[in-house]
Amino acid sequence: MNTNGNIYTIIYTTLIVVVVAGILAAAASFLKPSQQANIKAETISQMLQAAQFDTQGMNNVQKLDKYAEEIESAFIIDAEGNKLRDLGVTRDAIELEDGLKAQNYAIAGKDGYTVGLPVYVLKGGVTLIPCYGAGLWGPVWGYIAIEPDGTTIKGAYFDHESETAGLGARIKDDPAFRAQLVGKKIAWEEVPLFEIVKGGAPEGRENAIDAITGATMTSKGLDAAISTWLAAYKPYFINLNKEEE
Amino acid sequence: MTLKETFLNPILKGNPITVLVLGICSSLAVTVTLKGALVMTLSVTVVTGLSSLIMSLLRKGIPNRVRIIVQLVVVAMMVILVDQILKSIEVTFPIDKQLSVYIGLIITNCIVMGRIEAFALGNKPFASLLDGLGNGLGYGLILIVVAFFRELLGSGTLFGVTVLSPEWYTPNNLVILPPFALILIGCIIWVHRGIIDKDLQEK
Amino acid sequence: MEYVSLFVKSIFVDNMIFAYFLGMCSYLAVSKNVKTANGLGLAVIFVLLCTLPLNYLLNKYVLQPGALSWLGPQFANVDLSFLSFILFIAVIAAFVQLVEMIVERFLPSLYASLGIFLPLIAVNCAILGGSLFMQQKEFAGIGESAVYALGSGIGWYLAIVLLAAIREKMAYSNVPKPLKGIGITFITVGLMGLAFMIFMGISL
Repeated sequence: MNTNGNIYTIIYTTLIVVVVAGILAAAASFLKPSQQANIKAETISQMLQAAQFDTQGMNNVQKLDKYAEEIESAFIIDAEGNKLRDLGVTRDAIELEDGLKAQNYAIAGKDGYTVGLPVYVLKGGVTLIPCYGAGLWGPVWGYIAIEPDGTTIKGAYFDHESETAGLGARIKDDPAFRAQLVGKKIAWEEVPLFEIVKGGAPEGRENAIDAITGATMTSKGLDAAISTWLAAYKPYFINLNKEEE
Repeated sequence: MTLKETFLNPILKGNPITVLVLGICSSLAVTVTLKGALVMTLSVTVVTGLSSLIMSLLRKGIPNRVRIIVQLVVVAMMVILVDQILKSIEVTFPIDKQLSVYIGLIITNCIVMGRIEAFALGNKPFASLLDGLGNGLGYGLILIVVAFFRELLGSGTLFGVTVLSPEWYTPNNLVILPPFALILIGCIIWVHRGIIDKDLQEK
Repeated sequence: MEYVSLFVKSIFVDNMIFAYFLGMCSYLAVSKNVKTANGLGLAVIFVLLCTLPLNYLLNKYVLQPGALSWLGPQFANVDLSFLSFILFIAVIAAFVQLVEMIVERFLPSLYASLGIFLPLIAVNCAILGGSLFMQQKEFAGIGESAVYALGSGIGWYLAIVLLAAIREKMAYSNVPKPLKGIGITFITVGLMGLAFMIFMGISL
C-alpha cells in the first residue's frame, strides 16, 4: 500500500488525532474526581497544620474527618468585612474557596474581579485565613491561624509551586521557619501589619519574623503575600475586636 | 542482539545519559530529592517503554511526511496519561506538584524520541518495549545517583529521613543549586569513562 | 518599563539553560564551534518568538478553565487544560515543519545555513518549556508573552555561543583523558551556571 499518498496521510492523521483525543478525554474525566479529592484533602491538611494539628500520616479520608470535626463555620466576606454567604462545613458537604489566585487579582484591584474572601472559624474561635502571592519562580501561598483575640497568631502553613529546594522551599519544609510565627501579634493599627525582615527581625518586635538566608526573593514574596492579604482582612478583624470589647 | 541484551545494555554500558548524552534537559532540575528522582525515573521508564511499543506497532503504516508529528502525539499522550495518573493517586500527588512542568517536558526528552527513531521504528514490538524500558531505567540510574549525593550533602537527608544530623553537619547550599548537578554528572562521566568503559575516551 | 524588566529578567535571571537546563541535548551536541552554535541559537530565537504567542492565544481562548466562554455561556465550565501538552507540542512541530518548507522553497541560501537545525528544534525542550512556563506565569497579554519569548531566546542564544567559544579554546587544553569531550563540557556548563547565579536576586 502507498503510505505516502495525500489522502492516506490525511486519513491516518485524523484517525490518530481522534483516537488520542478520545483516550485522553476519557482518562481526564475518569481521573478528575480523585484529582479533585486530592487537592481538597491537601488544602484541608494545610489549614489544619496552620492551626497546629498534626496531619502527618493521615490519609485523605482522615483529613476530611478531622476538618469536619474541628470546623465551626466557614463563610465568604466582602472587602468591608461583611458576610456574603456561608460555605458548607458538614462532613459530606465540605466547601472550600479555592480561587486564591482570582482573589489576589481582586485585592490588587484588577478589573473584572470582586473581592470574596474566605474565613474559616474553628471550634474554640480560632480563625483561619489564606494568603497568596508570587515567590521567586512561581506562586507562594499559605494559611494563617489567628487566636480568638483577633491579633495573636496561633500558627501558619506555607506552600509553593516551584521555589528552590533547600532555600526558598524552606517556607514549607522547615518547621522552624513556620514556628517563628507562633505567638506573634498582628499590629492592626500599624503599617506594615506584619513583616518578614531580611537579616533578622529586631528583638522585641511582636509583628516581625526572620527571613530565610539565601532566599531573599521568596521571603520578600511571602512577606508581600501576607501583608496584602492581612490588609484585605483588616476590616473584618477590626469589627471582630470591637464586638469583643 | 538478544532480548536480554536489548534490555540490559542501556542500563550500564550504553547508558543514555553518560554515553549517548541524551535526556539531560528535564533531568537536572528534579534531582534535588530522591523521591522526585524516583518518580521521574518511573514516569520516564513507563513513557519510553510504552511509546516505543506503540510506535513499533504502528511502524509499517506511518506516512513518512508526518512521522515526527505522529511520534510527538503518541509520546504526548503517554505523558499526559502519566501526569493525570500521578495527580490522581494520593501518594504521588504532592510529588507531581513538586515536579511541575518537568513532567510535561518528558515529551521533549531526547531519550524518548531518540529511541523511537533509532530503535522502535525498525524493530519488533516486544524488543522495542524492552529497549524503551531499559533506556528509561538507565536514565533513572544516573538520576538516582545524582539525587542521592544532592539530597545527602545538600539537605542531610535521604528520602526525607535525616541521616546527617544538623547538630554537626551544616547542609551545603552549593549542592542544592542547579549547576552542581551538571558538575556531578561531569564527574560520573569521568568515572564511567575512566573505569567502566575506556573505549569511549576521546583521543 | 514592565516589558524592559521582563526582557532583562528572561535573558539573565530566568535563563533557559543556566536556571532551568532546558534544551540541554542540542545545547551540548551543537556547541562544538561558534558558527553552528550561532545558527542554532538564531533558529531557537525565531521559533520561540513565533510559537510562544501562538500558544498563548491557544491557552487563553481554548485551554484555560472557562476559556471557551466566548463560544457561549454553556461552555463556561469546560476545562481543557489537560490537553495543553499535546496542543503546544503540535503547534510547535507543525510550525517548525511549515517554516522548513517555506524556507526551503523561497530562501534556499538561508535554508542551507539554518535548515538542518529546524528538525532539531521541534524536540528542543527550551521551546516547549517556554510555552509551559508562559502558561504557569500567566502573562497579562500577548505582548508580554512575545517579550518573554524574545528574552528567553536571546538568553539561550547567549548561552550556546558562550559555551561554543569556550569549547573552541578548550580543544587545545590538556584535560584528563576520561574527562575529555563531554565530561569537561558538563563541568564547564556547571561553572558557567554558577556565574549566572549572581543575577538571581536582582529585582528590576
